[in-house]
Amino acid sequence: MTIAPDASRSASKKTRKLPMKQRYQALTRDLDWEPSYVDPKDMFPYTEFEGIKIHDWSKWEDPFRLTVDAYAKYQAEKDKRLYAVLDGFAQGQGHLSLTDASYLNTMKLFLQGVTPLEYQAHRNFAYLARHLAGPGPRFAALCQSIDEIRHAQTEIHTLSNYNKYYSGLHNYLQQHDRVWYLSVPKSFFDDALSAGPFEFLIAIGFSFEYLLTNLLFVPFMSGASFNGDLPTMTFGFSAQSDESRHMTLGLEAIKFLLEQDEDNVPIVQEWIDKWFWRGYRVTGLVAQMLDYMLPRKVMSWKEAFELYFEQQMMQGLFQDLAFYGITPPRHVEQALSEKEILSHQVYWVLYQFSHAAAFTTSVPDDEHMAWLSATYPDTFDKYFRPLWEKERRNIAAGGRHFVRGLPQLCQVCQIPMTFTEPGDPTTIAQRVSVYEGEKFNTCSDGCQWIFEREPEKYVQAWLPVHQIYQGNCGGPTLPDVLAWYGLQDGDSGEHKGSRDDLNWQRWHAQTPTGLGAEGEQ
Amino acid sequence: MAVKAIGEYRFPSRSRQELYGDDQLVSVWFADNPWWCAAAMFRAPQAMTWGDFWTQMVVPYAEEDPDWKADAAYSFSLWGVPLTPRPDQTLAELGIEHKDVIALRAA
Repeated sequence: MTIAPDASRSASKKTRKLPMKQRYQALTRDLDWEPSYVDPKDMFPYTEFEGIKIHDWSKWEDPFRLTVDAYAKYQAEKDKRLYAVLDGFAQGQGHLSLTDASYLNTMKLFLQGVTPLEYQAHRNFAYLARHLAGPGPRFAALCQSIDEIRHAQTEIHTLSNYNKYYSGLHNYLQQHDRVWYLSVPKSFFDDALSAGPFEFLIAIGFSFEYLLTNLLFVPFMSGASFNGDLPTMTFGFSAQSDESRHMTLGLEAIKFLLEQDEDNVPIVQEWIDKWFWRGYRVTGLVAQMLDYMLPRKVMSWKEAFELYFEQQMMQGLFQDLAFYGITPPRHVEQALSEKEILSHQVYWVLYQFSHAAAFTTSVPDDEHMAWLSATYPDTFDKYFRPLWEKERRNIAAGGRHFVRGLPQLCQVCQIPMTFTEPGDPTTIAQRVSVYEGEKFNTCSDGCQWIFEREPEKYVQAWLPVHQIYQGNCGGPTLPDVLAWYGLQDGDSGEHKGSRDDLNWQRWHAQTPTGLGAEGEQ
Repeated sequence: MAVKAIGEYRFPSRSRQELYGDDQLVSVWFADNPWWCAAAMFRAPQAMTWGDFWTQMVVPYAEEDPDWKADAAYSFSLWGVPLTPRPDQTLAELGIEHKDVIALRAA
């Protein structure tokens, strides 16, 4: 039997729609209850071991108060726009309007190094959405978790079109897990994933998403817009509103922890000290991207660092946090002193090891060197131009600087030990710590401090060079290791004369519109 | 300060010497040569003589630098302490341990 709805009754009693703020409160209230037959400590077992004290979870303020239906509506609209752009770009052979094939080296780095981190962030924010003991932060973490998986998916879709025509984009997940330079972002994030929930909030929610986001994420999107990469630029716009929400939540997280108990302050300070330096070392990859990999420059690393870190963070954020007793991060002076040398040192590493990378590199041409010289008047001509001039002579004599061996790595940041002593750009810094009778090498006072604070953690580091020497990476020869990395012909090495470069020249010689272009795969 | 963890937190080093059998990792840092972005790391037997280490490992690596001269005079140090190796001395006899860094400079 079917019971017909009482039409007269439903018509007379219309459902009243709550305003968004009240809907949000109702939503998060319903996500919370007092357990009646289990101990709250069993329900939320991970909120005390880090030493953080929370007295009142209701004090967590979510400034966005986004509800599920509003969230889905906004994201669907953004996705619709993004996928329309992706379709149009693909159909119109838009890849031919990039500034140069070499531009895509930046996107290879992004897909291999950053996209997998979005997925890892998705996983850990889902964990926080289960394990934080307050409904507000749980719901905020849930939204961010969904954001992060969307970002991973939309980044993969955005860049997949280029995979039809260009090398180095075909196997980014395997490469993220195995290739030497990708252990830098991977180990950074693994460090955060294996920390407690509050440290993760400071590591990723605050340090990564707030303190350093404009140096880690934004330069890739700005580079895209300056180099004709409309799909990535549109993805960047799509993610921007999420990122600003993540930034606000990162700031909310730190203020919440600091306001809950004075005993939290020194714990949070140490996390800021650690995660600033961890994140800053990862930005080395972004620095070289801005100054060397982008064919058309957006801004120099030095300018980006001064604007986004010195002005916005040192003169803005940390002035505000001083109210809580928080001081600027330990070792920040070292970072400030490196702004004129960082990008040059990191690109010099990538250049001489790019035969084992999933991107290509080249010597800067005259115009590029003039820009570097004008942008870095105190350092480029003195310390770095001579290296490139020597390499030009080397190439003219039939050489190409690919190192015939493996470099020493930092135990913490995992970057080859290239960084120099404070105030002396000619002397590589060598730090060594002894833990349980074994020596551990680090690249700087910052990385050494991090190692010595938690040596039990960093002795487990999966260092690519050490693993190759232990025989865990496919075999003893370079071709063995490259095969184990999943690299193919055309992925690596010198850009000039590479498959991408030759295809690019052929396509542009054939037809100015590029219609019907077929790459040599 | 120890790691704060939910249980006992103790794991072996992933690069301890025993994982390399009778070998060890040794780095050579070309301290006055910016051509090399970082020190070179080798896996070398502890019983390898300095002469073999030099000719079989260091020289083939360093020859990639167009200005390198294998027969030039070099000085060496180990963590700031001068090292004067004879070709017949083993790395172990020279006191070179796992993950040590030998600094090399033009003499």
